[in-house]
Amino acid sequence: MADPNKVDPIHQFLITDVVPLGGGFSLTNSALFMVLTVAVIGLYLILSTQKRSLVPNRVQLVSEMLYEFVANMVSSSAGKAGMKFFPFVFSLFMFVLVANMFGMVPFFFAATSHIIITFALALLVFIVVIVYGFYKNGLKFLKLFVPSGVPGYVLPIVVPIEFVSFLSRPISLSVRLFANILAGHITLKVFAGFVVTLGGLGFLGWLGALLPLVMTIALTALEFLVAALQAYVFAVLTSMYINDAIHPSH
Amino acid sequence: MTDPQEPKRSQTGATTSLTSDLEARIARANREREVAEQASLVPAKDMSGWNRGMRLGSEFVAAILVGAGIGYLLDLWLHTSPWLMLVMLMVGFAAGVLNVVRSANEMNKAVPPPTAAQRVPDDEEDE
Repeated sequence: MADPNKVDPIHQFLITDVVPLGGGFSLTNSALFMVLTVAVIGLYLILSTQKRSLVPNRVQLVSEMLYEFVANMVSSSAGKAGMKFFPFVFSLFMFVLVANMFGMVPFFFAATSHIIITFALALLVFIVVIVYGFYKNGLKFLKLFVPSGVPGYVLPIVVPIEFVSFLSRPISLSVRLFANILAGHITLKVFAGFVVTLGGLGFLGWLGALLPLVMTIALTALEFLVAALQAYVFAVLTSMYINDAIHPSH
Repeated sequence: MTDPQEPKRSQTGATTSLTSDLEARIARANREREVAEQASLVPAKDMSGWNRGMRLGSEFVAAILVGAGIGYLLDLWLHTSPWLMLVMLMVGFAAGVLNVVRSANEMNKAVPPPTAAQRVPDDEEDE
């Protein structure tokens, strides 16, 4: 950034090289924070459950609550057969949650604000659903596109619609997460930028800067809510799609 | 229990025994707590309006984009531009509506909408 006083709300999403690895590859800030995310999740879960005490202390309790929260979510939307996918859903939930929360720390990079990251996660879910659906049900998995109780002559219209609806899942899943995080961070930056700009205008500017300052504080709280909520939504929809792979009939 | 009125009331109401008064108060407190719990439970189960809006909106837009994208690629392949894209745009639109109806159904199943009898008369909404 050439001019440090210029407010540039998009600048925070710039990908920069942190550690060059040679051969045109390098560890970018996005990759660094994804590695940090995984490290934090792994270390926390392993260290907090090491003692395995029957009466958990506070640190272990958080791990257990996260486990039970996701376990309930998976079993309620995908049934008992869906619990096979519990590690998958739990990993996704924890990754999205911690990556979103990392994005809320000042000067940290929000990895989930790039659509390629969220789309990769959504595509992973999509491929798992397709592969497991065909593996479990064989060609009966295609019944997903043929709703029961529909007369034969409407099928040429209904099947393409169902097909497009199925293909739209990874798009909506990834766009929702990415758009929420991106829009939230930009809004936050814009309002925080108003505080700086107005603050440079003397006494009246200081008074005026109070309004966007209050707004920034409120938005920060909202962003924490959105970060947690979007991780939850991502995990819930993943378990719903897995349910479709296990029971492919509407 | 530190209410200064309490001892006075038990003295004046000589006919009602102390225990029955206590039972009534426990029942009342329980009822109040239930109401408060239900009120606090609803927004937790409900995913908040922002989230519902985002979900329905993205489901709708994604289906249209996918439909138009498939049509565009088919057009490139079969050299029929722009007809398949137009057709698939319509199909995508239908799929978007289907997506929205399905997710609205799921939301209603998760949190049933209040019936007319349950709904508390709310002045703010009417105005």
